[in-house]
Amino acid sequence: MTREAPPIRTEALTKRFGHVTALADLDLEVAPGEVMGYLGPNGAGKTTTIRLILGLLRPTSGRCEVFGLDVQRAGVETHRRLAYVPGEASLWARLTGAETLHLLGQVHGAVDTAYRDELVERFALDPSMRVRAYSHGNRQKVLLIGALMTRADLLVLDEPTVGLDPLMEQVFRECVHEAKERGQTIFLSSHILSEVEALCDRVAILRAGRLVELGTLDDLRHLSALSVDATFAGEVPDLSRVPGVGDVHAQGHGVRLELRGPVAPLVRALANTDVTGLVSREPSLEELFLVHYGAPAAEGRPSESPPDAGPRPGDPVDGR
Amino acid sequence: MIPLTVAELARPVAVSPQRAPVAVVARRTARAASRSGVLWGYVFGAFVASTAWSYTSIYKTQVDRDALEAAFGSNNAIVALFGPAPELQTVGGFTVFKVSMTAMIIGAIWGLLTATRLLRGEEESGRWELLLTGRATSRGATAQALVGLGAGAAALWTVTALLTAVVGLSSRVDIAAGPACFLALSFVSTAVMFLAVGALTSQLAPTRRQAAGYAAVVLGVSYALRMVGDAGLGLHWLTRLSPLGWVELLAPLTSPDPVPLVPIALFTAVLAAASIHLAGVRDVGSSLVADRSHAASRVGLLGSPLGLAVRLARGVTISWLVAVALVGLLFGMIAQSAGTTFSGSSVRQVFERLGSTGAGAGAYLGVASLMVAALIGFAVAGQVGATRAEESEGRLDHLLVQPVSRTRWLVGRLAVALGLVLASGVVVGVCTWLGAAPHHTGIGAGRILAGGINATVPALFVLGIGTLLFGLWPRAALPGVYAVLAWSLLVELVGGIGALNHWLLDTSVFHHVAAAPAVPVDWVSDGVLVALGVLAALVGLAGFARRDLLGL
Repeated sequence: MTREAPPIRTEALTKRFGHVTALADLDLEVAPGEVMGYLGPNGAGKTTTIRLILGLLRPTSGRCEVFGLDVQRAGVETHRRLAYVPGEASLWARLTGAETLHLLGQVHGAVDTAYRDELVERFALDPSMRVRAYSHGNRQKVLLIGALMTRADLLVLDEPTVGLDPLMEQVFRECVHEAKERGQTIFLSSHILSEVEALCDRVAILRAGRLVELGTLDDLRHLSALSVDATFAGEVPDLSRVPGVGDVHAQGHGVRLELRGPVAPLVRALANTDVTGLVSREPSLEELFLVHYGAPAAEGRPSESPPDAGPRPGDPVDGR
Repeated sequence: MIPLTVAELARPVAVSPQRAPVAVVARRTARAASRSGVLWGYVFGAFVASTAWSYTSIYKTQVDRDALEAAFGSNNAIVALFGPAPELQTVGGFTVFKVSMTAMIIGAIWGLLTATRLLRGEEESGRWELLLTGRATSRGATAQALVGLGAGAAALWTVTALLTAVVGLSSRVDIAAGPACFLALSFVSTAVMFLAVGALTSQLAPTRRQAAGYAAVVLGVSYALRMVGDAGLGLHWLTRLSPLGWVELLAPLTSPDPVPLVPIALFTAVLAAASIHLAGVRDVGSSLVADRSHAASRVGLLGSPLGLAVRLARGVTISWLVAVALVGLLFGMIAQSAGTTFSGSSVRQVFERLGSTGAGAGAYLGVASLMVAALIGFAVAGQVGATRAEESEGRLDHLLVQPVSRTRWLVGRLAVALGLVLASGVVVGVCTWLGAAPHHTGIGAGRILAGGINATVPALFVLGIGTLLFGLWPRAALPGVYAVLAWSLLVELVGGIGALNHWLLDTSVFHHVAAAPAVPVDWVSDGVLVALGVLAALVGLAGFARRDLLGL
């Protein structure tokens, strides 16, 4: 038996809107059964990539294959094997949740109805409600259930947890794990680093339409530095020799430093000091970009979507 | 984290000094409402100008004018439909008769659509909420929006009055500036009242569409009241109960009477005050008429994109068919009596220019078929708009990421639009025949039905053009089909009175369709028009299969 064609493969995939290059020369291959995280700040080109993979946009140049089929030529065939959840949930306002799920299932073809009912239960969705009356999070649940119930070989998820509360986000993570166990491939776009870390085997990072990092989480471990602020009753001790610590800035009785790798050496070092306060914070993706790639480059960046500064509401503010 | 100092916290937030945030709603609403107000002002002005000028060129002699007065002035069926027709022997009298009812209805529809779009529509889209997070309260914002709508009405009045006054300067027309302003005021007063009606229904209904629907019912009732009142059945007091009746009683240019402005102003003020009050007693985004948030699952149609298209278009289609049926019945019922009066030579001249030869009920129905064709055309424009909205609002994504080809989806939407058009043709034919049958018009059911089908041809062509634009230039699809329809109607209105050469007349899609049943249906011409529509649709389908999906 020949090796199965990769669920997603792009070759120099490029999309320009007028003068703006939304995606430039993307070469990416997602292996069967893997969960790939697709990261980047707002406007980096994540959604453009996904809409190209789905065939909703036409590439300016390059090509994209899903399970070995060109999405532009064989869109319908590729869609039999994938399911998609967009980040912005606009649905038919007058249909109920149940009607929407019925429609999506019928149009897709095969649906695991037992699993659908289980998902409705687990996501605590009231399916008799009209879409108009749903909150944003509930609409998102309808779309998540609609995609998961198909048991499609490839799940393409574009910031699927926007609007979900933490409880439901946990249910979503469980569902992704289950899908992975069943051998489904998942392409997950996100700008929430912790979500990607919890779910993904490999991570691709996009900035201003270009792929800047691609690798396993271990490969990228150097990206996840922890930012630590500590205050002391007396003098600030010298922490710069502690393993993993770098970028130390002391001011008065306080110190701010970056920590890479295990936390234990720093905790041990602090145990012997008169430390009075300790705040650790996972740096936002944006901060990582600034640290690792310098200030935002002017060229090629879509002008209408400047990167957000500072942590997002979805980002954890405390250490892990 | 480095904490903010007290000094930093105390520093005032920079606020743009030149713009008080309080009047943002008023400004936004005024801008949107004035834009369309000015546009319709031009249309009203053009309508007045074309009517007045054509009257002076067709009815040159006093004999012609007296004949016209004798034929139309006391025809109850005509008066019931179009309002009173006093002094048809004068330019002013004829202009008021010819333009008033159309301007009143267009003004009312403009008012209710504008108000519901800028109030309930903004609220539905969530933009209203953004504005209310500032300093404005719900009531304050509603009051501001009403001021903005008033500015739109003022724009409509200003342009209409200016153009009418300019036309009046012509020595043949001779309407003084004062009466011209009063004429414009009478047109605009329905717009003002229905802006207020739309503002009120926006408080009541949960969606823009429903709010517009409630307001349209008010319009229908006021039209019906004055229609019965004017029908010469001794029920004239009914006219005095109808907002449209009050406007009729202003009688501009013939026997102007400012007194009915009192109920008009009162009606507007009460509705505006009620809207502001109700905005304060409900939550933003909610409505006073309970929105049924739960519903039993009805999945019968939800098995395919075509089924979904049918389900989505069902409500609109039923309303259109009811409207078309009523119009057909009405035209059928008055055809005989209206047609008899058209035997006057000068009137026949007008009808012949509109392509309707002969006399009697047939000639009348021939002209009426133009209005029916326009009505069906607008139904199709609505379908083109709905198709585009599925794409621009992102719902189409959910279907096209399934194993559904773009062509299959669009063909399904086209099939629904086609069904609506053909059903309209059959319904209008059958209902016209039903209305006409008791009056022994001598026109067979077959001819009337063929006339109904014939009236669908322009709509089919417009559907083709709409599909072409949707495939190649989606953002232009809806404006494009409205432009084709509005231009064609304008050419017909002006051209019908002989003011245009045939090159210009040929640019109207309605001009290529025979005025059946007055004359035999020209199936060849119909075939060509439909073939062009099909060709345009095929190009559109091919274009759609090859382009990006586009948002707003």
